[in-house]
Amino acid sequence: MNETKTAFKRMKDLPSTHLLGTGTPMCAGCGGLQAIHEIYDILGEKTVFVNAAGCMTLLSVYPFTPFRGSWLYTSMGSAPAGAQGVRDALDILIQKKRIDSRENLNVVVLTGDGAANGIGMSATSGAIERDLDFIYICYDNEGYGNTGQQYSSATPHAARTATSKGPRGFPGYKKDLFSIWASHKPTYVATVVGAEPVDLARKVEKSKKMKGPRMLIALSPCPTGWDFNPMEAVEIGKLAVRTGVWPLKEYADGKVVHTKIPGRRPPVEEYLKLQGRYAHLFRPDRNETLLREIQARVDAYWDGVE
Amino acid sequence: MKTASRILGTALFLEGFEVQDAPRYGAERRGAPIFAYVRASREPINERGIIRQPHLIIVADETLVPVPAAGVLSGITKITTLLVHSFESPETWQERLNTPARILVLPAADTVEEREDIPFVGTACAGAAARLVGEISREFLIEAIHHELAHLSPDIVQKNTEKAMEAYDLMASHEGYIKEDGDFSGGAYEKPDWVDLPFEEARRSAPAIHAAATSVEVKTGLWRTMRPVIDFEHCNRCWWVCSTFCPDSAIELGEDGFPEIDYDHCKGCMICVAQCPAHAIEAVAEHKPKAHAAEGVES
Repeated sequence: MNETKTAFKRMKDLPSTHLLGTGTPMCAGCGGLQAIHEIYDILGEKTVFVNAAGCMTLLSVYPFTPFRGSWLYTSMGSAPAGAQGVRDALDILIQKKRIDSRENLNVVVLTGDGAANGIGMSATSGAIERDLDFIYICYDNEGYGNTGQQYSSATPHAARTATSKGPRGFPGYKKDLFSIWASHKPTYVATVVGAEPVDLARKVEKSKKMKGPRMLIALSPCPTGWDFNPMEAVEIGKLAVRTGVWPLKEYADGKVVHTKIPGRRPPVEEYLKLQGRYAHLFRPDRNETLLREIQARVDAYWDGVE
Repeated sequence: MKTASRILGTALFLEGFEVQDAPRYGAERRGAPIFAYVRASREPINERGIIRQPHLIIVADETLVPVPAAGVLSGITKITTLLVHSFESPETWQERLNTPARILVLPAADTVEEREDIPFVGTACAGAAARLVGEISREFLIEAIHHELAHLSPDIVQKNTEKAMEAYDLMASHEGYIKEDGDFSGGAYEKPDWVDLPFEEARRSAPAIHAAATSVEVKTGLWRTMRPVIDFEHCNRCWWVCSTFCPDSAIELGEDGFPEIDYDHCKGCMICVAQCPAHAIEAVAEHKPKAHAAEGVES
């Protein structure tokens, strides 16, 4: 990333007043809301959100909304299609001079990992193919959180969810949404986390200046679904980055760049052991096989990054 | 509370009652109200659905009382007993609510150490309810607890049983408050008063919001059990780390550069307490900020 062009070099460059309103129904300590409030500050008020069903649809329950502009609710599978309609409508209105081009809005899709990795995937793929000018924000809490944390295709291997309660947790592996997006050759794809707000701000700033399909995947530590003390949400987000579980990276111009390469990575279990969803890996006995497998997969990922 | 309703239901069943117990959820997230109903009778129960005129309402979290979505006072009449798990006295609640119902209090943990007991409040509520009903013996209550908590470890079950029996004993002087009465047959059903809503123009009736950030009208500060309190002597007016990390936008900088916590909306996640670089934010039990302030910390 071109360091000289960013307005966000350190924490002090981040906004100290916030656009997102208080009083939302999200859980205390919600990592998704944290990322969204940080993203919204950089995106600015001229944003229209197209929100697929999920936790965040509870943000706007009539007559309450934390947003400063419009918000559209869609089914889980159709947020990118909704965004297409909003984008087209804005373009036509501007073209016919029914609204001033200064009234143009950023069209932003907001969905959870369930819609982004699973139910909404075909609409997403189509929208990228049509080169739709929009930003997609996925708050990834690695499961269907709003209905009680059933597993989604973003659930990591071995995590306990409401639908994977066995001694080895979720048998599948987290889908690589970043690569799925990148393989479509869109304008921009990035991973972010609210616990690394400067990195997040730079990526939002950068994507905001671009045109075409852009994706921000925000790891969203979820106290309710991941079973941890809400006050540890930021610590867990930071550990996800430091241990290498959540690589911070971006794709643009056909290239993937890691924006924060952890130096000496602490063992992944530092991250896992803070979360109740992994408690079965430590108690009553340590599951060395699974712990080693998880560590080996993270190591293998970083071996490939150089 | 779902488990509490199951314990109460199972205990009544063991005593030979016909029983229904059912939970009702909204969103499955922290801070969302959850309801659970128990209906019991010596006769077969033909009634279905939510209980519209409860004999007993148990409020496990007193902060739900003023939350409209929780509706804890709906259907309350003079036959109702309201049991509140609370720091306050029954008299205070009587004054606050001005209701025809009888009000009892299940005393809430008062010290930070006792707060470790909060996870057991459900079984305590079930124990209190069992005594108020007056038809449930000690033995069947214990059996019901063991039955419903069979998936938990023995020491957790033991702790739950103790808490339930404590509450059971505490309610001894109110034994049998709750009587089996009332006519719940179909014939006794009174139709609610229908309210005719006139057809409105779409412009007036469509759900459009023309103001920004109306969510500030929702006082999520009521969710809090612990309150973050900034010690301004140690706050070094840094780069507003607390404000950036607060998921709820509930910390903003004042003109003097010091952060201000919006207690009307802070949900008490304590991320600011964990992340403050100067460790200048402390977690204080919500009902004690005044006492805490008197000890020399500004709030």
